[in-house]
Amino acid sequence: MSKDMKFLVVDDFSTMRRIIKNLLNDLGYANVTEADDGQTALPMLQAGGFDFLITDWNMPGMPGLDLLKAVRADPKLAKMPVLMLTAEAKREQIIEAAQAGVNGYVIKPFTAVTLKEKIDKILEQRANAA
Amino acid sequence: MSSGISALREEYGPSIATLAGALAAGDDSTFFKELDSLVRRREMTLFGELRKLTGDLQSALERFRLDSRLLALAEKEVPDARHRLDHVLRLTDEAAHKTMDLVEQSAPLADRTATSAAEIQAVWKRFRQRRIDVTEFQAMVVKMDEFFDAACADMDRVRGNLSEVLLAQGYQDLSGQIIRGVMKLVSELEVALADLIRLSKSGMEVSNAAKEEPARGFGPAVPGIDNGPAVSGQQDVDALLSGLGM
Repeated sequence: MSKDMKFLVVDDFSTMRRIIKNLLNDLGYANVTEADDGQTALPMLQAGGFDFLITDWNMPGMPGLDLLKAVRADPKLAKMPVLMLTAEAKREQIIEAAQAGVNGYVIKPFTAVTLKEKIDKILEQRANAA
Repeated sequence: MSSGISALREEYGPSIATLAGALAAGDDSTFFKELDSLVRRREMTLFGELRKLTGDLQSALERFRLDSRLLALAEKEVPDARHRLDHVLRLTDEAAHKTMDLVEQSAPLADRTATSAAEIQAVWKRFRQRRIDVTEFQAMVVKMDEFFDAACADMDRVRGNLSEVLLAQGYQDLSGQIIRGVMKLVSELEVALADLIRLSKSGMEVSNAAKEEPARGFGPAVPGIDNGPAVSGQQDVDALLSGLGM
């Protein structure tokens, strides 16, 4: 995995997608695509080519947790790194996301440093596991 | 009253006459048949009254349930909504100020770079026209060295400020989610009030069943509103996850 990894950023607010996309660009990841909820994102992921998924939780249509579960249930996507980036702050929700197989959980409002740390950590774990 | 008596006379008179006739004639089978039909008729009336009473009780209970829903809306959720909107105000206010602060910090840095570049450019033009002496050339070189260092440092800071400006726009997402929540509450209030009006008009109508909350998240935590145990920030999240072995 390197800087040409392809990211899919899923959030219903276009401002938040833009913020995340810009931060990823700052980190050197230029290949970023956006989707506005799980329903839009899932077929894009299934069409293939994505290496990393960053998703919000609270979205109309399909929420992020359902998207995570759908990704884990799809044999082609099951191993995809998924970072949850959300304002959902209840302890039971974080536990639920962990049990559904999320790789990282960043809470909004967040900082550029936190985002970088979590992405780096997930990629590092991937590299060690490989 | 006399009309009540005459109605009774009309309803029960023939039966009683039949009963009296059967008794006088010693016809016990006719007597008991007529007595049974009389009792059954009386029971039917009682059942009808009981049914009406049950209906009244049901509508009273419904009114009570609606009242308690309205009470919850008025006492807890409407003040909570006000609190949520206050939080939106704070978020937007903070974001606006933060953005303006960063712009104000960046503008002088951009100005300084532009001014220094213009100063060097003036000497540089004369140098290109070979109208410059050695001491002036040496001064220009020193100035250029300083300029390169300063410009790199200043532009790094501007770039950092721009990233923070971008990040400050995140309030739009959080406030949008809170406002949507309040809008949902308002429409719920609307439905509850409409139901109340409908029930006051006629005691017998049935209200809609309360809708289930979809499990698509609770939205951002709002200070001062207790929504169950929540984390206080990223450090809390990390601690919780590492506790789960992540």
